[in-house]
Amino acid sequence: MEKKGLNRRQFLKLTGAVPLVAAAGSIGGGLVFPKGLWAATPKIKGPIRIGYQAVLSGTLAGYGEFHKMGAVMAIEEINAKGGIAGQKVEMEFRDSTLKPDDAIKNARYFVDSWGADFLCGIDSSGQALALAPVMSQLDRPLMVTHAATEKLTEEFVFRKGIKQIFRNCMPTYNDGNAAAFIAKDFPAVKWATVSPKYEYGFTCWKMFQETLTKLKPGVSFTAESWAPFGTTDFRSHINTILDAKPDGLYSTEWAGELISFLKQAKEAGLFDKVKYVMLPVGAAMDVLEGMGKDMPDNIWISARYYFQYPNNKENNGWVARFHKRWGHYPAYVSETAYSAIHAYKAAVEKAGSKDTKAVVAALEGMAMNSPAGHRVFRKEDHQAIYDVPWGKTKSDPKYPFKVMGNMRVIPAKEYFNRPPFEGPGTTPPFK
Amino acid sequence: MQSYVHVILAGLSNGMFIWLVASGLTLIFGVLGVLNFAHGSFYMLGAYGSFTVLKYLGAGFWTGLLLGPLAVCAAGFVVERFFLRHVYRIALPYQLLLTFAFVLIFDNLVKIVWGGGALSPPSLSFLGGSIPILGRNFPVYNLFIIAVGPAVALLLWALLEKTWYGRIIRASSSDREMAASLGVRVPALFTGVFVFGTWLGALGGGLAVPYVGLLTPGMGEAIIIEAFIVAVIGGLGSLKGAFVGALVIGVMSAFGTRFFPSFDMFLTFILMGGVLLWRPQGLFGAAR
Repeated sequence: MEKKGLNRRQFLKLTGAVPLVAAAGSIGGGLVFPKGLWAATPKIKGPIRIGYQAVLSGTLAGYGEFHKMGAVMAIEEINAKGGIAGQKVEMEFRDSTLKPDDAIKNARYFVDSWGADFLCGIDSSGQALALAPVMSQLDRPLMVTHAATEKLTEEFVFRKGIKQIFRNCMPTYNDGNAAAFIAKDFPAVKWATVSPKYEYGFTCWKMFQETLTKLKPGVSFTAESWAPFGTTDFRSHINTILDAKPDGLYSTEWAGELISFLKQAKEAGLFDKVKYVMLPVGAAMDVLEGMGKDMPDNIWISARYYFQYPNNKENNGWVARFHKRWGHYPAYVSETAYSAIHAYKAAVEKAGSKDTKAVVAALEGMAMNSPAGHRVFRKEDHQAIYDVPWGKTKSDPKYPFKVMGNMRVIPAKEYFNRPPFEGPGTTPPFK
Repeated sequence: MQSYVHVILAGLSNGMFIWLVASGLTLIFGVLGVLNFAHGSFYMLGAYGSFTVLKYLGAGFWTGLLLGPLAVCAAGFVVERFFLRHVYRIALPYQLLLTFAFVLIFDNLVKIVWGGGALSPPSLSFLGGSIPILGRNFPVYNLFIIAVGPAVALLLWALLEKTWYGRIIRASSSDREMAASLGVRVPALFTGVFVFGTWLGALGGGLAVPYVGLLTPGMGEAIIIEAFIVAVIGGLGSLKGAFVGALVIGVMSAFGTRFFPSFDMFLTFILMGGVLLWRPQGLFGAAR
C-alpha cells in the first residue's frame, strides 16, 4: 500500500525528466527529422518509446537514480545525433520498488497504456523471475540491466523459450564462478560467508562453493550467516564468522548493507583475523564512495562494471562525459542502463524495424561496443557476454576512495555457464 | 564463553537501540493514545539532521547530536499542532492513515533534500575504535549505546514519577476531561509530550549515525517495525514494558542469528505471538 503511494509521488517527480528528454531532442534541432537511409524506411513510425523501471524508493532509492543517469545520458546523446533510425527516443521512468507485483504492474502500464516499444531495467532477481512469464504475453523486448540470477536466462529464456528477455548486465556467473577462479589461487582452504538471505545470496554462494570445490578439491565451507534484507546491525553475523575462524570470507552483501557490514566488521577486527576477503559487488561505485578511506586495503572486489576498466578511449571518454554531466563517476547500473539504450538503437537500425520479433532477432548474437567493452548477446540464452575485472583494494591519491589494484580479468567465456545448462560440461571449468 | 559474551553484548547494544526508538513511540501512545507510524520518520530525520550538522557545518559529533534532534522537534510540533490534534477524537484508522501519510511525505522530503543515495558518515575519532573483551574486539561506541539506553530509561522514569510535570502528564493521560476541568491545559501538554517523544526518536536517529554507519531514505521504516514489536510485547503504552521488551528482542535475535540462523526472524514473531496469546495486553500492559 505504501509503495503504491510512493509510486505516484515518484511518478509526479519523474515527469520532470520527460521534458528534459524532449528538450534534449530539440537541441538536436534540425537533426531530428529522418535523413539518409532512414528517410526511406517507412516501417519505423513515431518516437521510439522506452519504459524504464528501477527502484526509486526505500533504502535502495539511489540505485534508481544511477540507472536514470545512464539512461537519460544515452537518450540525450542519441537524440542530439538524430535519434534511433531517425526517430526521437522517449523514456518514461517508473519506480519499480522491489516488489514483484509492482514490476509486473509497471510493465503492463508501459505496454498497455503508455505504448512502450521496449522495456528496460529491473533490480531484483525475485522481480525478474516474476516478470519473466508475463513478458511473453506483453510481447515487448525487455533488457534486464541489474537483476543477476542465472535462472532468468537459463530457465526462462533458454528452457522456456521466452525470447523477449535479454540481459546486458553481468549475471551471477561473475559473483559465483569467477570469484572461485580468483579464490583458487589463495592459500585459503576454509571459507565462510555473510550474504543476503534471498535468491541472489543463495545462488551465488552455491555457485562459488561448487566451482571452487572443482577447481581446488579439499576446500571446506565452515560457516554461513544469512542477513535478511534491511539488516543494519551485522554484529551477530560477524560473531558467527569470528567463531568459525575461516581463512577466507566471501560475501555478496551489496549497496548500503555492504557499507554497514564492512564498517562494523572493521570495528570488530574481522579483517585482521580473516586474510582473504572477496566481495563480488564490492567495486560498486556507491560502496567505494560510501566507504571512502575507511575501505580496508587488500580485499578482493569486483562489480558488473568498474569505471577504470577497460582502460581504452571509449570507456575513458564515456567516464569523463558522465562525470561532466552528473558530477559522479558512473555506477555499474549507469553503464548497463546507458548500454541497454544503445543496444536497442543498434538492434532497431540493424533490423530496420522496431517490431518485437525483428528486434529480438537482431539482438540475438549481436555484438556491440560499449563503455564496459565488447558485448555479445549469446543467441541461446540472450545473456550478454563481456569481461569485468577483479582487483585488490588500494589507495590512489587521485581519488577520494579506494580503487582496484592488481587487476585480474578472467575471460567471461571461461566461467559463464554454457547451454544447455544441465549435465556435464555446462559449468566451469571447461576443458 | 567468548562467543556467548559477544553475542550478549551485540544483543544488548541492538536492544538498547530499539528501546531508544520504542521509548518515544510508547510515550506518545501512552499519553496521547496515538499510534504514531511517523515515529520512524523522526528517527530518520534525526539521523539526517545530525549528519548534516556533523558533515556540512563541520561541527563535532556531540553538537550534531544536540542540534539535529532539536531541529526535528520543530517537525514534531507542526505534525501535532496542525494535523494530529484534529484527529484525536475520531477513529484510530484515521490517526494511522494520517501518520502514515507523514511517513511518505518525510521519505520523499529526505530524497529531495539529501538525494536517494545512501550517505555514509566519516568514522568517529572520539568513541571510535574497539577494545578487546575476552580477546575479541568490541566497538567502544556500542558500549556507549549500552550505557545510554538505561540512562534514557532512568531519565524518563524520574521525569514521569518524580516531577510535577510527570504527575500532570499521568493525570491527563488517565482522564483527559478531569485534568482539563482542574485547569490543566491539556492540548498544550499533549503538544509538549509529542514533541518530547519526537525528540527521543530523533535522538535515536542521531545516535544511529555512527552505529549503523549509513543513512538511507527508507531507514525509518525498518526500525519502526521492530519498535512496534517491542512495544506490543512489553504492553502498548508501558515504558517499563518497552525497555524489557527491547532487551529481550535484542538479545534473543542476536542469539537467533548466531545459533539458530534459519529461524532468526521467526523467533521474534513466535515470541510476539506467544505473548499476545498468553497476555494480550503485553508483559507490562494494564488489562483492559
